Amino acid sequence: MSLLLNHIYYSYGEDTTLRVDALKDINLKIEDGEFIGLIGHTGSGKSTLVQHLNGLLKATKGDLLVDGRDIYEKDYPLKELRSKVGLVFQYPEHQLFEATVFADVCFGPKNLGLPQKEVELRAYQALKQVGLEDEFFYQSPFELSGGQKRRVAIAGVLAMRPQVLILDEPTAGLDPKGRDEILGQVKKLHDESNITIILVSHSMEDVANYVGRIVVMDHGSILYDDTPKKVFTHYQELEKVGLAAPQVTYIMHKLQDEGFPVRTDATTIGEAADEILRVIQ
Amino acid sequence: MNLIETKNLSFDYIRRDEEGNVEGITRAVDDVSLSVKQGDFIAILGHNGSGKSTLAKHINAILYPTEGSVFVDGKDTKNEEEIWNIRQNAGMVFQNPDNQIIGQVVEEDVGFGPENLGVPTKEIWERVEESLKAVGMYEYRKHSPNKLSGGQKQRVSIAGVIAMHPKCIVLDEPTAMLDPNGRKEVIRAARALNDVENVTIILITHYMEEVIFADKVYVMDKGQIVMQGTPREVFSKVEELKSLRLDVPQVTLLAYELQKRGLQLPNGILTTDELVQALKHVKIRG
Amino acid sequence: MLRDITLGQYYQTDSVIHRLDPRVKLTATLCYIISLFVVKNIWGYLLAALFLAGVIKLSNVPFKFMVKGMRAIVFLLLLTVVFNLFLTPGDPLISIWKITITKQGFQTASMMAVRLVFLIIGSSVMTLTTTPNNLTDGMESMMNPLKKLKVPVHEVAMMMSIALRFIPILMEETDKIMKAQIARGADFESGNIIKKVKSLVPLLVPLFISAFRRANDLAMAMEARCYQGGEHRTKMKPLVYKRRDRISYAVIAGYLAICIVVGRIL
Repeated sequence: MSLLLNHIYYSYGEDTTLRVDALKDINLKIEDGEFIGLIGHTGSGKSTLVQHLNGLLKATKGDLLVDGRDIYEKDYPLKELRSKVGLVFQYPEHQLFEATVFADVCFGPKNLGLPQKEVELRAYQALKQVGLEDEFFYQSPFELSGGQKRRVAIAGVLAMRPQVLILDEPTAGLDPKGRDEILGQVKKLHDESNITIILVSHSMEDVANYVGRIVVMDHGSILYDDTPKKVFTHYQELEKVGLAAPQVTYIMHKLQDEGFPVRTDATTIGEAADEILRVIQ
Repeated sequence: MNLIETKNLSFDYIRRDEEGNVEGITRAVDDVSLSVKQGDFIAILGHNGSGKSTLAKHINAILYPTEGSVFVDGKDTKNEEEIWNIRQNAGMVFQNPDNQIIGQVVEEDVGFGPENLGVPTKEIWERVEESLKAVGMYEYRKHSPNKLSGGQKQRVSIAGVIAMHPKCIVLDEPTAMLDPNGRKEVIRAARALNDVENVTIILITHYMEEVIFADKVYVMDKGQIVMQGTPREVFSKVEELKSLRLDVPQVTLLAYELQKRGLQLPNGILTTDELVQALKHVKIRG
Repeated sequence: MLRDITLGQYYQTDSVIHRLDPRVKLTATLCYIISLFVVKNIWGYLLAALFLAGVIKLSNVPFKFMVKGMRAIVFLLLLTVVFNLFLTPGDPLISIWKITITKQGFQTASMMAVRLVFLIIGSSVMTLTTTPNNLTDGMESMMNPLKKLKVPVHEVAMMMSIALRFIPILMEETDKIMKAQIARGADFESGNIIKKVKSLVPLLVPLFISAFRRANDLAMAMEARCYQGGEHRTKMKPLVYKRRDRISYAVIAGYLAICIVVGRIL
């Protein structure tokens, strides 16, 4: 499933004095099976952008083509689009409402009008995909730990079998281990089922290890759209817009400034260690 | 005399069913003894559910020990007569910036604490002004809290606590819901209070990069203190921290990785500069 | 739609009206409402319109904002007009098919409409120029005598003030939960009443849970800041009458008196 955003503009409070231009001339092409990190600080427009991808918000100007078809056409089946482009909001555990974990995960597929058998099968598989053990299935979702609740909420979207999965700050408020678990699970999901994943985050360090492409947003526009290595070469500009490259990037640049002949494009600890050892030995 | 002292503090959460029968007991804090001196910057680390927030709530007398005792400025928190005194001396900032601001205008929120203490009107205004200036939010004094960023809201909350003139501020995961900018703002404000006003700070967090400036770090797991020491001492134990579900700053991790691969580097490197200097040394020697 | 309600929303600017004591504004609003029911003729309404226009001018709040508040009551307004227009007996004015509009009906309908519009705009002036906190302070102070009757005046005022603070937060939250459930295929629009009510469950349950969590957090934060009810409390912004407040009281009294004279006797 490919998504094409063509000169997308979006303003809140159109026609009022309080108008805010949240998105300005966004052009983006998202191909099948990509793993993208969408980075920006709070208010940069990244959450607004992802709400366009499943038609929750409608662009004030511009076109959005899904598999070549304009979703702003009159009869476009938006409900179907929403099942294909799954969106997990920030703090998704705040939407849980059913009496049991399993029933909550069934909510999405049930809304698609699938037969009961299929609904349950999908819910079961989705819960397995996020790594939740069977013993929790018939507990109240409100009795689970924060990390578990979040996984249930993600399963609730996965059960609709989306071809594109968007996660808005999936690690907010989790501790480091919880964060690594969720991100690891998402990566596994991408590797195994080849769905497109868009990870919205304000932390470069979180996404650098996982994604193949980083889109940086600032003030409603796209600032960079490239591989992590290339994006991090702009570490000084990133700092100016309130973002930071991974600490590793800074270390490598500092070493270079101090006369070490290192390459500066390492993004992970392992790469950095390799590079430092190469130079020192 | 220590400002805060816990002696063999234990706390049980008791879950009851609908009839009020005890369903289960969870020991959230288990035999914790620690002491904090006036003017210290203390960090308490631990993953979610390690008991660090429960411990924090004892210092403000929101929770009372099941066993053991807590003294704030020499007063036992179990002594009901001293409770307001203790809460004034040990202010508290919570995790969710939206759920602790009472006023609808920034300055009114900061004035809420002094109002409760019965401070005369004129002095309330003085306190509000000085507190908002201390966290750099004075120019927002007439704003609605709803229009502020997360970091700004937390700074307002801190100002609201300072205005009560406490000896100590407990910050219970104040940055968990903020973005990197907001996190920096809040930590900077806390450090400034500690440096300039000599307010004792107890920072509870799971972000390791926030604690490298602390005088002392305690690491909690399963309700107990499992590690303690200066940040350098704590961070030199990379494997142990990882097993406690905690992170280590990337620079410390990199130094550790290089050590493992045979480079002779000092333990517990905390900043980029330290690593670069250490590597220079290695280069000359090698 | 919820966002359109300006009633109860403060418009930040500086004006004489903004600076008035909330007690004055509360009294004035009450007097104004009384005046609307006292006057009986066109001169009275003209006077009420002039008075309102003058206050709006002084308040520096764009008229647009007042009208926005009207959107929420359009339905109520229409209902009142329609009922009065068609159901008042009297001399027929126009008669089409089975529907008759009487002279009296026309008069009552227009009078009711004007009253309602003035009433809403009049009270919006108060809420637009007074911070909710100030307003609750004013109410608390005016209801103080009730304390003797063991009415928990301070507590009620505090609850109102907190409710007002959390309305925008909960509204935003509603929006977010709704979007999230729509993303999971929920449908809040189609179907009959029963289906619609049922479809609200995935919205209301999370909303209630969140509201309780917030209430719990807030109570703890208030206790941590030594809140122990209204006793021993001082005020950061105590209410003190100034010259302008006394003048305003005089103006209000004068207005009401003229209203009675002009609106009833002339």
